[in-house]
Amino acid sequence: MITEFLTRLRFLVFRKKRSEFDEELRFHLEQSIAMKVAGGLNAGEARRQALIDFGGVERAREQCEEQRPGWWAGLLSQDLRCALRGIFAHRWFSGAIILTLALGIGLNTMVFTLVNAVLFKPVPQPNGNRLVSVMERNLKGDDRSLPLSYPDFVDYRTQATSYEFFEATTDQDAVMSERGNPPQQFHLDRCTAGIFSMVEAKAILGRGLQESDEQAGAPPVVVIGYNVWKERYAGVAGIVGRQVQVDGQPATIVGVMPKDFRFPHGVDLWMPLIPNADLFKRENRLLRGYAILKPHVAVKNAQTELSGISARLARQYPVNKDLGISVLTFNDRFNGGQIRIVFLLMLAGVGFVLLIACADVANMMLSRSLNRQREMSIRSALGASRWRIVRQLLLESVLLSALGGLMGLGLAQGGIRWFDLATAPIRPDWIHFTMNFPVFGYFAALCIFSGLLFGIAPALRSSKPNPIDVLKDGAHSVGRRRGGWLSSVLVMFQFAVTLVLLTGAGMFVRSLLVRLAVNPSIPADRITTARLHLPEDRYKDNDARIHFFDQLLPRLRSIPGASHAAIASAAPAMGTADQQIELEHQPIANPAQRPRISFVAQSPGYFETIHVPLQQGRDFTDTDGTPHHEAAIVTRDAAMRLWPGENPMGKRFRLFDEKNQPSAWITIVGVSADMVQELQTNDPRPLLFVPYRQEGWDNMALVVDAATDPLPSMRQAVQSLDGELPLSEPFRLNDALDQLVWFLRVFGRVFAGFALIGMLMASVGIYAVIAHATENRTQEIGVRIALGANLRNILALVMARGLWQISVGLVVGLAAALPLAHFLGSAPLLASRFSATDFLAIASMLALVGVFACWLPARRATTLDPVRAIRYE
Amino acid sequence: MPTSTDLLQGTLDLLILQTLAHEPMHGWGIAQRIQQVSREVLQIGQGSLYPALYRLEYKGWIKAEWGSSENNRKAKFYRLTPTGAKQLQSEVETWDRLSAAIALVLGRPVEASR
Repeated sequence: MITEFLTRLRFLVFRKKRSEFDEELRFHLEQSIAMKVAGGLNAGEARRQALIDFGGVERAREQCEEQRPGWWAGLLSQDLRCALRGIFAHRWFSGAIILTLALGIGLNTMVFTLVNAVLFKPVPQPNGNRLVSVMERNLKGDDRSLPLSYPDFVDYRTQATSYEFFEATTDQDAVMSERGNPPQQFHLDRCTAGIFSMVEAKAILGRGLQESDEQAGAPPVVVIGYNVWKERYAGVAGIVGRQVQVDGQPATIVGVMPKDFRFPHGVDLWMPLIPNADLFKRENRLLRGYAILKPHVAVKNAQTELSGISARLARQYPVNKDLGISVLTFNDRFNGGQIRIVFLLMLAGVGFVLLIACADVANMMLSRSLNRQREMSIRSALGASRWRIVRQLLLESVLLSALGGLMGLGLAQGGIRWFDLATAPIRPDWIHFTMNFPVFGYFAALCIFSGLLFGIAPALRSSKPNPIDVLKDGAHSVGRRRGGWLSSVLVMFQFAVTLVLLTGAGMFVRSLLVRLAVNPSIPADRITTARLHLPEDRYKDNDARIHFFDQLLPRLRSIPGASHAAIASAAPAMGTADQQIELEHQPIANPAQRPRISFVAQSPGYFETIHVPLQQGRDFTDTDGTPHHEAAIVTRDAAMRLWPGENPMGKRFRLFDEKNQPSAWITIVGVSADMVQELQTNDPRPLLFVPYRQEGWDNMALVVDAATDPLPSMRQAVQSLDGELPLSEPFRLNDALDQLVWFLRVFGRVFAGFALIGMLMASVGIYAVIAHATENRTQEIGVRIALGANLRNILALVMARGLWQISVGLVVGLAAALPLAHFLGSAPLLASRFSATDFLAIASMLALVGVFACWLPARRATTLDPVRAIRYE
Repeated sequence: MPTSTDLLQGTLDLLILQTLAHEPMHGWGIAQRIQQVSREVLQIGQGSLYPALYRLEYKGWIKAEWGSSENNRKAKFYRLTPTGAKQLQSEVETWDRLSAAIALVLGRPVEASR
């Protein structure tokens, strides 16, 4: 083997000389001739026969050459040089192609990077590729994920063998406070002690959690995140050992975690999970499980093992009946469903853009292939095989697409940066939008694939083996429509795909506009909201909570500059709670069949604050909601749905809570104008309002209508009553709305960008095709003008083909866009219907752009000087 | 013309190696020798002889040197290398196995091999 390899290497470096073969051949022929002469032939005849015996000399020489190891490398470099020469010889042409491909490949690389980060890339922590999230799930009904109870967690942890670490955390908000520092709300995880070691995280100051912290009666400790340290404590060095209060309970800060460490999910504070009697109840589901699988254990296998355990638990404990377990990677757990669909849609969208780009480039190359046929015919006449010509042309295409791709890579970097910034406020901290090896692999595959895709048809066309025809054909192929059908199909395809893209983008933009236009009567830019949570340990019952809000309301109303103030369980358009309803005289025994309604609890004066008028009846009074004064206000829409055709005033109903306990009978005292409370759905439940006194809510939004920023006064009002209460989620209502439609805004922009780029490319494509066809018909047009064709005749002549292509493209595109619109419209996040007028608007916009692109070259044709056109060569 | 038989794929290499096992030879000589020994059954097409020789040379099984022929013409002589000899042996074994197997399938009596 080695010697063979060395010999090959030697011949690779030192080629055989050409003359060597000739010499050997001459000897062979001489011998052959000598033998034939000896057999009695004369010299001339002997030579002739010897040559016939031997066969093709040149062929034999080539075959000998092809035996040489690596003989094709020379050919390849020759092809490469040829291709580069071809690219540089037509600088503008190549530039246009490279730019088009840069857009197409760049966008695809960008979106693949995003998709990869959201759906495939492991969590960027040590062992992140083996990190899974473990939750229970409801096997009956909705298949919802549920947290684990502590005893369940312990059972899984002790019985399962497929993991290295198995830890659990709660997921809650907590208020941190101390003397001389205003209370502040943070995201707190109470976790089992191994949570840091499972991802090999070490505190940068002090220590992380350790097992002794978990023992009952251990001194309470808290580990703080880097941001908390920097922002709340200004990064002081002596932070470790400081005494603080967390939710009113004393704790000692024992460590600070590194920057950007917020494992598992946006955590600010970590505390040990200290088991207590409450935690040991199997029905108390508070924990989220996280595990590091053993190396080479597949998620599926871990799932199987834990499912076995969960089946045992379900048999053993009644509260675990119908509960299963789900083991999922972070991507599957947190980026599943809607998010996955949107990202895959994005990938499909840019895929279409690339197809349009390739069609564009293919069209440009097709139009040039006509001009190139001469060059190729000469080469083929000189003995190049068709395969060789095709190969060289394909090499040229791939080279072009690689150049375009490299340019696109820069474009992709920019796009990823923009997306990274645009999504920073919302996206989980463990998603990093960066390129990695799979992305580069995808990028390389894309370059080669698109090069072949747009190159194959023009290459086959150019290399058509008819050298004689073309060489003879010195004159112009007047009026001949060579290969016209292929570029027509490409243009139709482009317009169809662009229409589909525009439809998708239109759906996003439309639902964004619909959402932004909700509740026009509410002055969202003047309304400030902030949430307030009353902790259970200090506000133990309804009376205590109602008492607090009773005291707070007058203070809110007296805030300087505030014209109105109220409290509500949710500000306008910020979502609702829902319960089952039963109308008086229409009992429904089966809870599953009772309709559900949405409701907002509020204080008197809420409607004035948000400027929603009451159409009938009255606002709540201070006695509404106290026992025997249960009252409600319904929207006009709810009234019509609950009591169709009747006057709702004075009607009674009751609500059922999760334990199927009915409330007292509640009387309708007023009817308000309609308003949108649930932004993310197409058919909201009937909406009604109840007074806050009806139940003692512990989590309310303060709503203040004031021209100047009332937040400091709101905070002051709250803290004058309770110094330990922070305000969370402070927002102007319009900013909060913006936050809600953030998703639509970003993706609307993304898809609109794709669609516009697609439209631009399609127009450039049709422009190029028409312009080229017109140029080839210059003589013909000149003759027509000379013979008296008027402006309209010429326009019709040139544009007819383009208009035909656009119409077919639009019809095909509509056929494809309808099901897409239907599919997208059924997704809750878009939840808007696309009407016929919308389709019409989009289609006519596209048609207009397309016609304009055809009209440009047609106009030029009408201004031709017939004399010069006829002589045009 | 004696009927010629198309050579099995790869058999040409074996024939050339076997022919060169006795003494170094030039291309013409190899073709003639194979023709003679096979009693004119095996006609080596020149078009395939030289590519085969080049292939074997590139594989390092034979080595070419310039020498002078019987009639004092400059000619290229091919000589079996030690690797080539080894290769020849293994190819002969393969051939024996193969032909014995084919003979069995065809129902012919098998001669004691070699």
